Amino acid sequence: MVDSYRPKDLKDALSIRAEYNPQPLAGGTDLMVRYQSWSGTLPLFTKSVMFVGHLKEMKYIKKEAKDKTVTLVIGGTATLTDVANNPDTPEVLKKAVLSIAAPALRNNATLTGNICNASPAGDSICALYALDAVIVIEKNGGSREVPIMEFITGPGRTVLGSDELVTAIKIPLKASSVNDFTKVGTRRANALSKLSFTGVADYKNGRIDSIALTFGAVGPTVVRSVELEKKLIGLSGSELKARIPKVIDDYSTVIVPIDDQRSTAVYRKKVALNLLEKYLKELSSHE
Amino acid sequence: MGAKISIPVRRIDAKEKAGGWTKYIGDYQFKNLQHGRFLRSERARAKIIEIKKPDFPEGYYYIDASDIPSSGKNNIQMIKDDWRVFAVSDVKYIGETIAVILGPDKQKVLDLLNQIEVIYEDLVPAFTFDDALSCKGGAVYGDNNIFSEYLLNVGNVDNAFKDAVKIVEGKYETGFQEHLYMETQGLVGAWEDEKITIYASSQCPFYIRKSVAVTLGVPVGDIRVRQTTTGGAFGGKEHFPDVIATPLAVAVNKVKKPVAMIYDRIEDISFTSKRHPSKITIKTGLDKNNNIIAMDIDTLVNGGAYESSTTIVLQRAILHGIGVYNIPNARIRGRAVATNTFPSDAYRGFGAPQGLFAIEMHMSHVADELGLDSSDFRRKHFIKTNDITITNAKMHDEVKLPEMFAKIDEMSDYSSRVKKYTDDPVKGIGIAFVNHGGGFTGNGEQAIIKGVVKMKRLEGGKAGLYVSVVEMGQGLQTTMRKIAAKELGLDYEDIVYDNPDTDIVPDSGPTCASRSIMVVGFLVQECAKKLKAKWNEGVGVEAEDVYKHPDELIWEQETLQGDAYPSYGWGINVVEVEFDPVTYEVKTTGIWAVWDIGVAIDEIIMQGQSSGGVIQALGYASIEKCELKNGAFMQHTMADYTIPTSLDFPKVETCFIDNPYKYGPSGAKGAGELVFDAAPPAYAEAVQNAIGKRIYDIPVTPEMIMGALK
Repeated sequence: MVDSYRPKDLKDALSIRAEYNPQPLAGGTDLMVRYQSWSGTLPLFTKSVMFVGHLKEMKYIKKEAKDKTVTLVIGGTATLTDVANNPDTPEVLKKAVLSIAAPALRNNATLTGNICNASPAGDSICALYALDAVIVIEKNGGSREVPIMEFITGPGRTVLGSDELVTAIKIPLKASSVNDFTKVGTRRANALSKLSFTGVADYKNGRIDSIALTFGAVGPTVVRSVELEKKLIGLSGSELKARIPKVIDDYSTVIVPIDDQRSTAVYRKKVALNLLEKYLKELSSHE
Repeated sequence: MGAKISIPVRRIDAKEKAGGWTKYIGDYQFKNLQHGRFLRSERARAKIIEIKKPDFPEGYYYIDASDIPSSGKNNIQMIKDDWRVFAVSDVKYIGETIAVILGPDKQKVLDLLNQIEVIYEDLVPAFTFDDALSCKGGAVYGDNNIFSEYLLNVGNVDNAFKDAVKIVEGKYETGFQEHLYMETQGLVGAWEDEKITIYASSQCPFYIRKSVAVTLGVPVGDIRVRQTTTGGAFGGKEHFPDVIATPLAVAVNKVKKPVAMIYDRIEDISFTSKRHPSKITIKTGLDKNNNIIAMDIDTLVNGGAYESSTTIVLQRAILHGIGVYNIPNARIRGRAVATNTFPSDAYRGFGAPQGLFAIEMHMSHVADELGLDSSDFRRKHFIKTNDITITNAKMHDEVKLPEMFAKIDEMSDYSSRVKKYTDDPVKGIGIAFVNHGGGFTGNGEQAIIKGVVKMKRLEGGKAGLYVSVVEMGQGLQTTMRKIAAKELGLDYEDIVYDNPDTDIVPDSGPTCASRSIMVVGFLVQECAKKLKAKWNEGVGVEAEDVYKHPDELIWEQETLQGDAYPSYGWGINVVEVEFDPVTYEVKTTGIWAVWDIGVAIDEIIMQGQSSGGVIQALGYASIEKCELKNGAFMQHTMADYTIPTSLDFPKVETCFIDNPYKYGPSGAKGAGELVFDAAPPAYAEAVQNAIGKRIYDIPVTPEMIMGALK
């Protein structure tokens, strides 16, 4: 037998979470599917549930400026529709979010939920990895911030403590002139990913100043290699162009997908590298 | 499109369905309703050593084969009766019914089910054609795993091959396809007036009545079946409801309370029949003028663990095996094999789509081998009226394929686009020509069905229509009314046509085989004429009409010789695609369809059939992948078994050519399955033209295209 809790505010939610460690449920679009049972019977939750989707304190999206950096702060209960409709949402994230399911689901699902579900095929996660998103975590009497790459540790696994809640996602709004998010799904809408790719980069004085390349659904977590990206910093467009075959080779060692009911390892790897190549060619022609 | 009856009316069920007021089986209220759930086999092939059960509280039941009355039998009487109501001592496929667990509270039923432990001793299962033919693990059926085998022959194939200057061969494969009707399988069995009444979402109320009566060993009159408004079927509710109705009836017979068996979606995809997978090898011999002089075809379909309707599906596959062509010397060997997969069963097209996919792709490949235009080559071989068919009979239909080609060429600009895309690196266009026999094979309408329809004058200037064919989304409640109203000079809304109840309507046969309009509709038309003649006798006057096979048609069932079908619908599809060389995904940019269905009873309803059939077939050809893993379907959720959305394909541009059939109502022929047949080969040919590599199998996935381009 499991209990359900409906906290009146965030403070209440944190207390309940600390005392009973219930499973937080915001939109329920992943959890209700995961725990579905015979229709007409209760879902098969293995632990108590705390509803958080109604908590108004976390239903916001705002910009914060500190020193010279502007950060987009997405509250813990902002829905995917809220994120897609916000004018400050980075292009790749907006594209990723709009590629998820259908409007009715996006109206209920939260970005936080998508992250905490920690699916390697989570489309928003692929974009958030590339955007250096930071997860804001709170508990009774404390808070911490963890980069998304450290937050997610494996399929369905995160560093979130049983007394903690994700209350916001911070995205530094950086200059980025060449952006791509591509989802290869099982069909054109309302589809799960076979794989996804995000590329964001910017030039300064004709040289690559920042770059992030991420791949979804091709490993146990979204794949991003900061090490390989570093090798591209400082290159001019034409230098990058000459380097593309080498970059593809490098990435072919870090992209190690599997076969499953949606696609094959061979296809995932080949198409991930094709998308990378297409992006790098586009990037190299910009400088 | 000239006939007056074709002018569209508002569908009789449009408002109710669009408004959400229609009651489906899950919406019915029953007093003291019990909920049933199946204990199913988790193994593809095993002996049952022991079934460990918890104690059942009062009011909860475990129903199995031992509950079948001694007068009955543990067989489901479909076309064959080999499918068992309950598995006893062994299991033959994953999902096979072992028992029904039922009681008033769903959660308790589920808890009991979860406490049951079945101890199996695994045997070696057979899943593939190769497994079946080599009798892997010992024969699943008989001593050779062959449910049925046929050999069709016209001319002298062996001699003709000796004269061939060129021979082309190809092997073509198609996969499982899930029906994915909007409403899942659902039946409620009730004990009413001291007899069993089955409320069923189904295509064939009389099939259910027969199978339940045989299982319980009672006269058919002791069973009442009431069809409930059916939210899609596509063949999936032709025989399969019998697989639910028979164990359900055994349960109701025991507990004498209403019991519901309504599937959840994942249950429905995992544990219902699919379209038969096929593997077809074709060898063609050509003379020096590039004319086909001989063709040798070997057709295999996978029937799964039980035969059910598989033999008839195989018949359709081979009877459509040489497509719309006049091949002077042709031979088709057809075999239906047994495996330990979920038994395959009816799905829109019933074997014809498999046979037609193979022959159309092969014709395209032969043309390619000869360096000829694929459409020109096929058109040169079109069958004509009075040519000899694969069953050594004359083609009686007036074949309008040349006129239809001219029409689709004008609509789609096919001929010039074929040339334009020859060297295009990403674009391609494909075409396919098909026909589809309407009604039961051969003289089945006479020998097996003998359909009856009844009409009656009612109060208030209305007329009652009593038939056993059902509305399942295809528009029959509207089109049948139009047919009757036309003869009676009434408004179609003045015809009363309720969901069939076997205690009320005569048996006009099942809703399948593209027969409802052509065969039953004709009986309705003739019956309405009779009622009209008696109309002035007053309220309550009745008329009846019984099927009579046209005298000029001959048929020998054992050897499949003669007139294979009373008439054919004919069709051409053109599909245009563009593929993405980065992701290997295919985007369809144009779809055109021209059909000869005799006469459309309602043009908008037929547009719906054309769009729905073509898109369903394009799903089959592209994204509807359904693979087995150790005998279980891997894609068993709606997230993984994907069917097309409105964003996946553009509008289907449709045109109908009138070609009235003398034994069809207002000249109408079968149409519901024809519209499925042409799109898969047209799509596959478009993709092969876009990527520059031959396609032999469907679904044509991006993964397959990547492999082909390696």
